[in-house]
Amino acid sequence: MIETTASPLPALRLRPWLGIVATALAMLVSWMGLLWAPTDAVQGDVYRVIYVHVPAAWLAYLAFAVVFLASIGWLWTRRPWFDALAVSSAEIGVLFTGLAIVAGSIWAKPTWGVWWTWDPRLVTTAIMFGMYVGYLLLRGLSTDFERRATRAAVLGIIAVVDVPIVHLSVLYMNSVHQLPTVLRVGGDPSLDSQMGMTLGFSVIAFTFVYFALLAERMEIERRRQQRLLDVRA
Amino acid sequence: MRALDRALLVARRELDAERRQPDGVAAALTFAGLVVLLESLALGPGRAHDPDVASAVFWIAILFAAVLLVSRSFDRELEDDAIDAIVALEGGRDALYAGKVLALAAVIAIVALAAGAFSIVLLDLDVRLAAHLVLVAILGVVALPPVVVLVSLIALRVRARVVIVPILAFPLLAPQLLAATAGTSAALSGDASAALGWTGLLASFALVYGVLGLTIVPAAIE
Amino acid sequence: MLPSASLHDATVVLDDRPVVRGVSVEIGPGLTIARGPNGAGKTTLLRAIAGLIPLARGSRQVSGGILYIGHRPMLLRGLSARQNLRFISAFRGRTDADVVRALEHWGVGAVMDRPIERISAGQRRRAALARIDTEPEPVVLLDEPFADLDRDGVELVRDAIARAVREQRAVVLVTHLHEELDRDAARRLVLADGRVSLA
Repeated sequence: MIETTASPLPALRLRPWLGIVATALAMLVSWMGLLWAPTDAVQGDVYRVIYVHVPAAWLAYLAFAVVFLASIGWLWTRRPWFDALAVSSAEIGVLFTGLAIVAGSIWAKPTWGVWWTWDPRLVTTAIMFGMYVGYLLLRGLSTDFERRATRAAVLGIIAVVDVPIVHLSVLYMNSVHQLPTVLRVGGDPSLDSQMGMTLGFSVIAFTFVYFALLAERMEIERRRQQRLLDVRA
Repeated sequence: MRALDRALLVARRELDAERRQPDGVAAALTFAGLVVLLESLALGPGRAHDPDVASAVFWIAILFAAVLLVSRSFDRELEDDAIDAIVALEGGRDALYAGKVLALAAVIAIVALAAGAFSIVLLDLDVRLAAHLVLVAILGVVALPPVVVLVSLIALRVRARVVIVPILAFPLLAPQLLAATAGTSAALSGDASAALGWTGLLASFALVYGVLGLTIVPAAIE
Repeated sequence: MLPSASLHDATVVLDDRPVVRGVSVEIGPGLTIARGPNGAGKTTLLRAIAGLIPLARGSRQVSGGILYIGHRPMLLRGLSARQNLRFISAFRGRTDADVVRALEHWGVGAVMDRPIERISAGQRRRAALARIDTEPEPVVLLDEPFADLDRDGVELVRDAIARAVREQRAVVLVTHLHEELDRDAARRLVLADGRVSLA
């Protein structure tokens, strides 16, 4: 293992301006989502949950992809920075995945009458949640820094590979059984332009929130790693 | 081909040990049988007879049986550090993974055969497409060990390994469970094209994880 | 001449503690004895040379095969001694290894077909040590080989070490007894708190 917490990328002064921008965007999007965007003709105001659900789901997948890349990075370079990235993204990812599922359920109940349905993306998200939790559990049970990082990295890779397979399986299941599709979100051509803009801004805002949280969490992890390296030296 | 020979040696070793100490297989068989029995009891003859239900319960039982078997297998390896003898040898890590996958596939197949026959008899299942059923069963079984052995190796010296292996493995095996259950149900009900479609998915899953496992195992085992 | 095995500035970290620190050793033919108090890192050092533990820092070079016989027998339960040794030899690609003769030489010929969990600890140790004869690797790492052995067993180990040395094999022995062996040792390492010094 390389005995430094340093990042392989050029140093960027991300904190605190990233958090400030993220907060500002979040406030903007809250206003847009709750007040500015019009009420839906069919679904009423309950539809507004998609301004949380869709970005959260997008971030859940992004965070997972980052875990995958960070895992490869650790196995390849043995640089602690990659492990910090992996765990930070995983923790934020589990948060957003849970949020996406809850928001989705809140939307589904008044709209379709069910808390849950056999939709490829929902099922994949739920399983992804399970994998995140397992990932963090495995880390929690490991005692040694390097072993923990390696175990987590291997799991991170095999878990992410599974996600598209899960998605395809459920998709195939639905096509075989001809189940009624699918929560259509954002793919609806009749989406009002204001709604569309709000959704777009929402995704951007959430992305900034993700990176802001990531930066903070990585700094915490960097300090932990530094303490550890000092002890070992 | 030396690598294949080494894998086969490990597989043979595993099967020899299992034969001499069959407590793993015994536990797995008993467990699977009990699950099927309890299912028919709890659901009643009408619903238990339904191909979807019977398939689901069967494959869930096999999933747990697989975890039981691999747990016992690695417990045995850790006694007296037997695993170190292989890992210290050149090509040991790869052979260990491949050999265990092969052996475990064989043992799960035995459990599946017994539990399957038991299910068919007890639940009075109609088997419309026997050949398809066998094909789905074989591929469903083969799709399990690449994941379960890999997860066990990752968690080998982790505290509470016996609990964490299923927690990690089950989400990963969601496609296998889905495909095997749906394929079995299709074979029982006579839907040939669906059954074949699902076997395709199972085969791909087994292949992807077999290759991934072999690639990543040197990094995974210390 | 190349050393048979060497570590250069090797550090091994276990549970976030450095157990072996900045150790550089070169192992050549002949007997190397490593001594030190409990917890000094002797077993970890041996395992590092064997390649069983990754190094946190430093490098390891090996110029031939290694036979590592650890503190525990490393034999699979459910199998007999003969099956275990035959498996390992076959794995190394050696079809000519006379496992039966080796096991008989080490005094476990009578029990070699019994599953190893049903023979005594001392017999398991002898079966494990028989690998010195069935696997003629140039480097032999022995971690506390005298444990569980009776006087005859101890003699067999001493003979095996002497024989291996005569055959120009590099034997690394970790023990905290049998100081009489130090006389014939080509190298004596003393481990303390993860660091090595030559005695």
